[in-house]
Amino acid sequence: MSRGAFLRDLLLPPAPKPVGVMGVFSYVDDATDAVHALQEGGHRDLSVFSPVPYHDLEKVMKQGPSLVRWVAFAGGVCGLTGGFALCIYSALSWPMVVAGKELVSIPPFVVIGYESMILLTGIFNLLGMLALARLPVVRSKAPYDPRFSEDKIGIWVPAQGETAARALELMRGHGADEVKLHA
Amino acid sequence: MSGTVLTGAAAAALHRDDPERRPLTQKSLNDDILRMIAKPGPVWIAVFAFDLLVLLVGGLCLRNQIVLGLGVAGYTRPVMWAAYITNFVFWVGIAHCGTLVSAILFLFRSHFRRAVYRVAEAMTVFGVLTAGLFPLLHTGRPWLGYWLVPYPTQRGLWPNFRSPLEWDVFAVTTYLTVSSIFFVVGLIPDVAAARDRATGKVLKTLYTALSFGWSGGNNQWKHYYGAYLYFAAIATPLVLSVHSVVSWDFAVSQTAGWHNTIFAPYFVAGAIFSGVALVINLLIVIRKAFRLEHIVTTDHIEKLSKLVLLTSTIVGYSYLTEFFMAWYGPSNAERDTFLFRYFGHFWWASWIMFTCNVILPLLLWFKGVRRNLPVLFVLMLFVNVGMWFERFVIIITSLARPFEPYAWGVNYRMSWTEAGITAGAFAWFFMFFLVFVKVLPAFSITEIKETLPVPRRRKG
Repeated sequence: MSRGAFLRDLLLPPAPKPVGVMGVFSYVDDATDAVHALQEGGHRDLSVFSPVPYHDLEKVMKQGPSLVRWVAFAGGVCGLTGGFALCIYSALSWPMVVAGKELVSIPPFVVIGYESMILLTGIFNLLGMLALARLPVVRSKAPYDPRFSEDKIGIWVPAQGETAARALELMRGHGADEVKLHA
Repeated sequence: MSGTVLTGAAAAALHRDDPERRPLTQKSLNDDILRMIAKPGPVWIAVFAFDLLVLLVGGLCLRNQIVLGLGVAGYTRPVMWAAYITNFVFWVGIAHCGTLVSAILFLFRSHFRRAVYRVAEAMTVFGVLTAGLFPLLHTGRPWLGYWLVPYPTQRGLWPNFRSPLEWDVFAVTTYLTVSSIFFVVGLIPDVAAARDRATGKVLKTLYTALSFGWSGGNNQWKHYYGAYLYFAAIATPLVLSVHSVVSWDFAVSQTAGWHNTIFAPYFVAGAIFSGVALVINLLIVIRKAFRLEHIVTTDHIEKLSKLVLLTSTIVGYSYLTEFFMAWYGPSNAERDTFLFRYFGHFWWASWIMFTCNVILPLLLWFKGVRRNLPVLFVLMLFVNVGMWFERFVIIITSLARPFEPYAWGVNYRMSWTEAGITAGAFAWFFMFFLVFVKVLPAFSITEIKETLPVPRRRKG
């Protein structure tokens, strides 16, 4: 084994081979029906891949709103308080009174607080999105097909044995262009 | 032909001659947009080489200034802010269009933005990168630029947070950070599409890294669009605040011609005006060069030109309001400054500004002009010339005419160093832009796909 390959395996051991069934669909209504049928058949851990988010699929997958908004909100609170705190701390730590004016003069500090709020909201929003969407994907749990970034929809059912065979038949029956068993 | 409905092959044959009506499918959209990032052709290489040459000239001028000091920049008392601050405000203004198109129009659900927003967003990021150079160059010692940033030191010194110049540091760095994040996040699904087609090892690695391993899974889409909405929601007040803060660099000072409450909305409107004009120029060239007339149609360009018309009227109204306030208000100095602005030594600059920004855009009331792309292209160039002169006029004429008559002076001339660095800034901006159109998807594949009919087996 070369040194590079050894280091790679040490830092990032090879991902376990995905086991399940991948169905590829051309039509949204077929894919929606297939997801519905699979859910009725007891499959709960489905994943759907698509080039754009389709409302029908979002609905059948029962996806609620993303929690990322709370992460962004936390960033906003941190930024606003941090921005004001920085201004107030720096004014008090080097007290230089000019023309008898207040050291802590809130109106000019609003700009700093406001910009800091937006800055941290943006950064937290990004980090929240990456964390919740499990990005970056280092080891995928499902096989990927480049057609999913073009015009095809993929449904991944993690299953094996008899259950996988049933899922395979079910997707074929709902108009899948192709269904592949990953055993 | 009346009464005959053409379908299938007959309709396709009819539309073949009209590039704006070339058929579009989900797959062909990937083909058309990702075709742009193929190996560069001789025209691109020639343009890029010329761009680098101009950038080199700008770099040599910068070297000249660093070696010899700010004296080569043409500053002459009382005009101690000149071309660099003009360029700073101009480029921050250019940068405003991207966030307007990508964030504000997103919140308003204006679907025409989908075909044009990526170019505008890229322009925003590169515009801020260009703008950010100028305050540093203006300080004369750009290597000490980090002094602007608050950081704990042994001496316990902090920047003055009451100063609008420090507000600028926060506003511009926030704008650069948030607009860059917004740009990169918007690219993720499209870069994944580019990754899936990339054959070269370098590009494949680059796209894999930039796409964060995106696979288009339902969980990814859910959080992606959740976050995208909030990016748009925070970018909207940000874009309004940034140019307001830039305007306060002037308005908060006690200088006749600057000390106006109208400055914030006036600057924001002007920024959108110039930014949209430049995005129209860029789109007209890109759609022609890459044969993308069916993706960026004349309708899209016409809608953008209506935005230019709207903001032109706001800018024109602001010019007149400023003049009215000087005439109607109590300040003799203000009145004198405005008379000097339009009829004094720099009258030519003021009338270039007024003609390009107020009179020529009146042509946009005519639909024929809005839909005639060569005419529109030239008109938008005039708008940007006018908007550069607007900042020049505001800065130079007010500084040349301070309160103390003995201090009046009209000796400022733009030096060759300033002119070289100004040209170099344009080359700096276009260098990023030229690389962008050849490396990253310049149009949003995902968002344009969303405008296509949803593929369903069951009709109706």
